[in-house]
Amino acid sequence: MPTRRTLLLSSLALAVPAAFAGIAPAWALAPAQATQFIDQTARELIAVIDAGAPVAQKRAQLQQIIDRAVAVDQVARFCLGRHWRSATPQQQQQYVQLFHRVLLNSITGHLGDYKGITYSLGRAVPGDGGMQVPSVMNRPGQPPANLTWVVSDEAGSAKIVDVVAEGTSLRLTQRSDYDSYLNRNGGNVQALITAMQRQASG
Amino acid sequence: MRLPRPAPTLATLLLAAILAACATPPPADDPEAVADFKQTNDPLEPTNRVLYAINNGIDEVILRPIAVGYHYAVPEVVRTHVHNVLDNLNNPVVLANDMMQGKPRRAGDTLVRLLVNSTVGVGGVFDVATGMGYPEHDADFGETMALWGVPEGPFLYLPILGPSDPRDATGYGVDVALSPFTWLGSGQTVANLQYVQYGMTVVDTRESLLTDLDKVKEQALDPYATFRSLYRQHRHAQIQKVRDDNRATPPAWYPDTPASH
Repeated sequence: MPTRRTLLLSSLALAVPAAFAGIAPAWALAPAQATQFIDQTARELIAVIDAGAPVAQKRAQLQQIIDRAVAVDQVARFCLGRHWRSATPQQQQQYVQLFHRVLLNSITGHLGDYKGITYSLGRAVPGDGGMQVPSVMNRPGQPPANLTWVVSDEAGSAKIVDVVAEGTSLRLTQRSDYDSYLNRNGGNVQALITAMQRQASG
Repeated sequence: MRLPRPAPTLATLLLAAILAACATPPPADDPEAVADFKQTNDPLEPTNRVLYAINNGIDEVILRPIAVGYHYAVPEVVRTHVHNVLDNLNNPVVLANDMMQGKPRRAGDTLVRLLVNSTVGVGGVFDVATGMGYPEHDADFGETMALWGVPEGPFLYLPILGPSDPRDATGYGVDVALSPFTWLGSGQTVANLQYVQYGMTVVDTRESLLTDLDKVKEQALDPYATFRSLYRQHRHAQIQKVRDDNRATPPAWYPDTPASH
């Protein structure tokens, strides 16, 4: 389907490097690169979501895109916060695997909500945790939503490390959820893993 | 806003909530845990959790079903018009806050919205102003106090109103007092219309949050903690947005306009 995108990519590619030319780059990733990466990833995701393929096939395709575009391992570790170190290596591994599955579930569980989505990207700026790429998401019959994508290349290549929806960071929110759950379960990482297993299979 | 008198059972529950113990801080020899505890800044957590449970119960049996009914029974066009009317009725409060925040351009936007939508927009049914370049924005007295430097204080979960803090709770009361409709005569009709306005605002807001709240409750291991985090982050972002809105006051056509950024 045609996408109504008011993408300023071409002008960005010219204007942004010029604006930052004088500043010593604290981020290896250029703003235009981050924007282009998000544009590319969003296009791939939308292609899968809007296609008529069966859910199982969509799920497999989405998993591929997410594993490539999102720094899931790093985000998982961030979300466990100070409890990461109190977990045994085996628990850490189990937790990260479950985190992958829960993340995928939370996306595939709401595929219908994302159908027919269009977006426009704004100018990327360096910020907390990486390049911040602002975007406006338009879903049919819903008011437009402001999403900021945080892109970092700390893991080697450009990857998404956070999504900030209307000012709320997904990874911070997830972290406070896990932290609170762990505190109410005596800091026992095994309790979290059991709860996540329920989520992953449910 | 005059809230209906709570039923005795609810009063008993509230009393139990208030009497519930304060949150126990982690042992001092775990500095990271102590830092997290301070960051969470929720010393009344046990009380708040009881209130959350009560609110959640009320929401599940009353508010959510009404919002779902509203969503499916009323066409989107009508819901948009209802939202526009409510937005327009709230604009005097937004305008007062814009001014108290010292944000002339935001106040100007709200004034134009109020004038245009009340007249050309037929009493606020049509949001003509957005198309003219004056989009809707919100402002409340909690936000105003934040810009004045008043700290937010510990997290509070309030009956009916939901997640809050002392600053926002005070702000809500001030906003009710700021509304001209609070002072517009004292007849039963005015009071009833005001109940309709507040009631519809609750339904309109709850309807707009249907998917988001369902998603949090479905996916979070600890929905209370998740709502606490979401509320705080969202408020901080809103306040920052107002703080950063320093558009120049003279209009673009005015000669010798200093370069706006």
